[in-house]
Formats: sequence, structure tokens, C-alpha cells
Amino acid sequence: MTIEADRFWQQTEAALSETPLDLLIDRDDFYSQPDWDVFQMRYTSSGGYRLFAWLSVPHGNGPFPALIRMPDYGSVHDIVYTPLRKQAVVMNPTYRGQRNSDEVFQAEYPGLLTEGIGNPDTYAMRGVFGDALRSFDALLDQQGASIGDVVLTGSGLGGALALTVAARRASVNVVAANTPLALGNPESFKPGLGYPLAELGDYLRMFPDRSDAVKQSTEDLDPLKLASHITAQVLLSIGTNDTSSCPLSFGENLSEMIPDCDLRIYRGASEGGGHEHAEVQLYWLLDKLGLGCVTGMSPDK
Amino acid sequence: MATEQDLKNFSTQVTCPDDFDEFWTDTLKELAEISLNSEIMPDPLRSNDDVKVFKVKYVSLCGLEIFAWYSLPARGDKPYPAIINFPGYKSEPPVRRDWGKSGVAVLSVAVRGKLRSNTEFNPGYPGLLTSGLEHRDRYGYRGVIADCVRGVDFLTSQPEIDAERIYACGSSQGGGLTLITSALRPEIKGGVSGYPFLCCYPEAMSLFQSYPYDELACYARAYPDQKDQMLETLKYFDAVNFAPRIKCPMVVGIALDDEVCPPETSYAAYEALTGDKELWLFPNSGHGNAHDYPGQERAWIERQIGLAGVAS
Repeated sequence: MTIEADRFWQQTEAALSETPLDLLIDRDDFYSQPDWDVFQMRYTSSGGYRLFAWLSVPHGNGPFPALIRMPDYGSVHDIVYTPLRKQAVVMNPTYRGQRNSDEVFQAEYPGLLTEGIGNPDTYAMRGVFGDALRSFDALLDQQGASIGDVVLTGSGLGGALALTVAARRASVNVVAANTPLALGNPESFKPGLGYPLAELGDYLRMFPDRSDAVKQSTEDLDPLKLASHITAQVLLSIGTNDTSSCPLSFGENLSEMIPDCDLRIYRGASEGGGHEHAEVQLYWLLDKLGLGCVTGMSPDK
Repeated sequence: MATEQDLKNFSTQVTCPDDFDEFWTDTLKELAEISLNSEIMPDPLRSNDDVKVFKVKYVSLCGLEIFAWYSLPARGDKPYPAIINFPGYKSEPPVRRDWGKSGVAVLSVAVRGKLRSNTEFNPGYPGLLTSGLEHRDRYGYRGVIADCVRGVDFLTSQPEIDAERIYACGSSQGGGLTLITSALRPEIKGGVSGYPFLCCYPEAMSLFQSYPYDELACYARAYPDQKDQMLETLKYFDAVNFAPRIKCPMVVGIALDDEVCPPETSYAAYEALTGDKELWLFPNSGHGNAHDYPGQERAWIERQIGLAGVAS
């Protein structure tokens, strides 16, 4: 990691530690199910942003393994939805600007990726990465459910957030990341990309004189810079046709930087294997969590 | 994984209310009395050498202001053929710049509740599917569907659009809205409905325990005495009841491992189509992720428009 990136993460951690978590958890009677309870979590991140998360807790006595499904790039992070919710505590956290975490700032799509990008101090995405760390800390802090091992999953931006939290929190020992967003990496500025990375190209076409500021705002978030710090086992999926989140060469470089990485490359895919990989990921997670077979759907849908 | 035979064996319990046509005729009449009042604002940030992107606003049912992305070819002969793109349940409408080089305009609609269209109606996700279920006149989807119809009104009001070549597409909720809007607007000359949502609610809410359909199961569990009323309301918003009213060519794409929209329910909508129709089945694919779907969708629309063989 560069000195600048190290300084950014130290500042992020300091800002989080200076902010009271102020955690509230309320059972959601409407969405709770016969086999698990659903809760709404609210807590505070750096800058005073109140964040929201869905939490599901299986009935029965814990401790349960816990799964955090990091949010992708979009306004909504769905209500808990994975077959693992029958056997694991599942948290779906949101970041600043997403629905239910938008009291003071409503993110736009497209738009968030360049929100405040002209200055590192105002760049919204730097706060988003801090929010991911905060969600992990909130899960550990809550007293409603007894949890054991914590695993992280995510796709696109969620994949990058999962890898980042794993690099910053040594207690994470399993991560399944799909097509992690290449934000901050030089690959993200190449021409011909699709959204969301294309937002960077839009911005630089409009403001060509701000390229240094854009680089400065984003480079600390490059997943490659944190990859060597990840001690968790990582399942990483990428697609050969991905031009919007995780370009092939970036994904391959990332897998080489992560010490314990099981890379799956899907030919002809843009989203990292889709249904085929969802099955692979489900059984990989079941194995890592020591859970029995679960029939049903993808863990990350 | 469902098999094609499973789909053929499926029979829905959904029936069509006697006053279904009257309800929608009245709704469209109410909509027609509201001035479109459209605004078109250039968006240079999203525009490029191939496509000029605009932010559009228009007024829909109950006077709500609806947002849409409007992408026009930067070059080429007017009037342009057009595609109206309907959004998924929880996703935001995309800025569609991929048709510009082919000389096709795209309107991508943010129905009520989506970002930029949610100042007066904002039930959330989850939330939309059960919003106003107690009565068909107050059900949120009455407005959502009107917003899609209004998108067609917007396109036909634009001099740069060839009103004889308007096509519809979308996946998941967008697939359901493609079917429904095509039934209500004969100006749509063809559509591709991917993994359609909004089909066979009674079965969909019980076949899987996944959202969004599970919102209905939660509602029925919370208000058991209102379940019959809920199902009665939903009959007016079921794509299966709209399908026989579609006159244009229509494609339905179904992933046999779809874990969100049960394949049987989407197939029932296909079965109910009475006009020209095509079925695409994708084995070993889940909701929204059949690898071949985007290419097939594009090729089909190109053929309908008359662009077959034109490089994009």
C-alpha cells in the first residue's frame, strides 16, 4: 500500500472511531418469517450519516455463522434474500445515499461514482467504503443475535467493499466476491466502458482539466492496493466480457495479489458467471461455514 | 430446474374480472385528461459522439411528475424508430446509449417510486408491491402502469420519432410492464419481455419464498382477512390478463432456473398471448442472467425495426 493510501485508511478508521455507533435494532413484524426474524438496524457512520441494514436471524439458539451481503452500485439493497438465512445470521447493509440511508444525501445512479470527485475530501465514494467498515463493526456490536464466523459476499461495488473490509478486518476469514468494481484502478479510465465505470469517462470528457483530481480522489480505493493484506480465503468470479465493473485484466491481477484466492473465470459472461457461479458460490460458502446442504436459490441473489 | 413440460403442465387459477376492460378504459380516460406537460433538458454529461442524452419529465396519473432518460442518435435520418425501456422492480432505469449508432431513440422510464420520480409517491422496495392493495383504484401499480403508457404518449408527441416504429422491452418488472403496456397501447409495434414479473400472483407468491413476490405472502400473513381482497385487486394488474389483448408481435424470455419469477408463471403469460409470439427458454440460467438474452433481444428488435445486418 502507498503512503497516501495508508494515510487515507488511517483517517477513515479514526473518523469511524470518533463517531458513536448509536445502534438501534427493531424487529420488523411484517417481514419476519416463520423460520427467521427480520430486523431493521440503524447506526451512524463517519460524517454523522445514519445508515440502514436489514438483518435476519434464524430461530433457535446461536451462535450462528454470519453473512454480510455488501451492497452493489444502485439505489436499493434488497431485503434479506438467500437460502442461507435459515441457518445463518444475514446482514444486508446499505451505504450513504442508498434508500433508507438517504436522510441527508440521496445518491443518483448514474451520478454517485463522480459525486464530489473533484476533491478527495468531498468525494462521496470514500465515505461509502468507510460505511462498509462501519456495517461490519455494527454487526459485531449488536446484541440481538449470537454470531460465530463472519463471511462477506458482494457483487460489483459490493465485491470491492467485501474485499476492502476483509483487508481491514482480520477477523474476516471467508469472502466471495463477484466482479469487484475496479474504481481507483487505471483500468477504470479506459475508453469504451459501460456504466457504472463509464461515469468516470463522462466526467473526464466534461472536465478534462480535472484528471489529476479524479485520480487523487479514487486511487486510494483501488482494490489492488489492499489485496495483499487480505488473510481470508477468497472466491473471486469474473467474466471475460465484463466492461462495466471488473475488466478481465484487472480481475486477473487482483486474483494474483490476494494471497489465498480461488479465481473462476466465466467465458462469454459479463457478470461473473451468473447462475452457474451462484451455485458454485453457494456450495463453496456452505463448505466454508460448515453448514449442511441447503436446497434453493443463489446465496447472492 | 423447471422443464418445458413443467411449464406446459402449469395451469393458473387467475381469472379475468368482467369489468377488466372497463377499469382500464376508465383509467386511460382519466390519464388522457391530464396534460402531458413534458420538459426536455439536454444532459451534456451523459451525451457523447454517438448519442445525445436528455432528461425528460412528463405528468402522469394523479398529476405526478415522472422522469425518463431520453437518448437520441447524434446523427442519422429522422424520424427515428424508438424503443421504450421499462425498469426492473428495484433497479434504476439505465441510460441507454447502446442504440445511438444504429439510429434508434430510447426512452428509459423511471416509473413512480423510482429516484427522480418519488417526491409524491415513495413506498420503497420492498413496499411497492403491497402499496394500496386494499383497492384497485388505489393500488400503486395503477399509477406505475399509467407512467409507462404516458411514456408512449411522450414518444408519439415528439416530431423526431417515427410513431409507426415504437418497440418495448424490459426484464423482470420491466418484462411485465412490456406486456401490460403493449396491451394498452397499440402504438407499440412489438416487444421483448424478459423473465416477466407481475404474472400469476396467487401462484407466484406461494411457489417461491423470494422477494418481491414474498411481499404478498407477508401481506397475507399479516392481514389474513384481507387476502381475498388482495387477490381480487391483483387480477386487474396481472400480465396474464393483459396478454390476450396484445396485438403486436411479442417475445417472452424465460430462465428455467429463475428463482425470482417462477418460470411457470411467466410461461402462463406467454400461453395467454393470442397474436404473433415467440418463446425463448434458457436452461441453466437464473433470473436476469441468461448469457444469450441481451444479444437475442437486440437482434429481434433490429429485425423488427428493419436494421438487421446493420452494425451497431
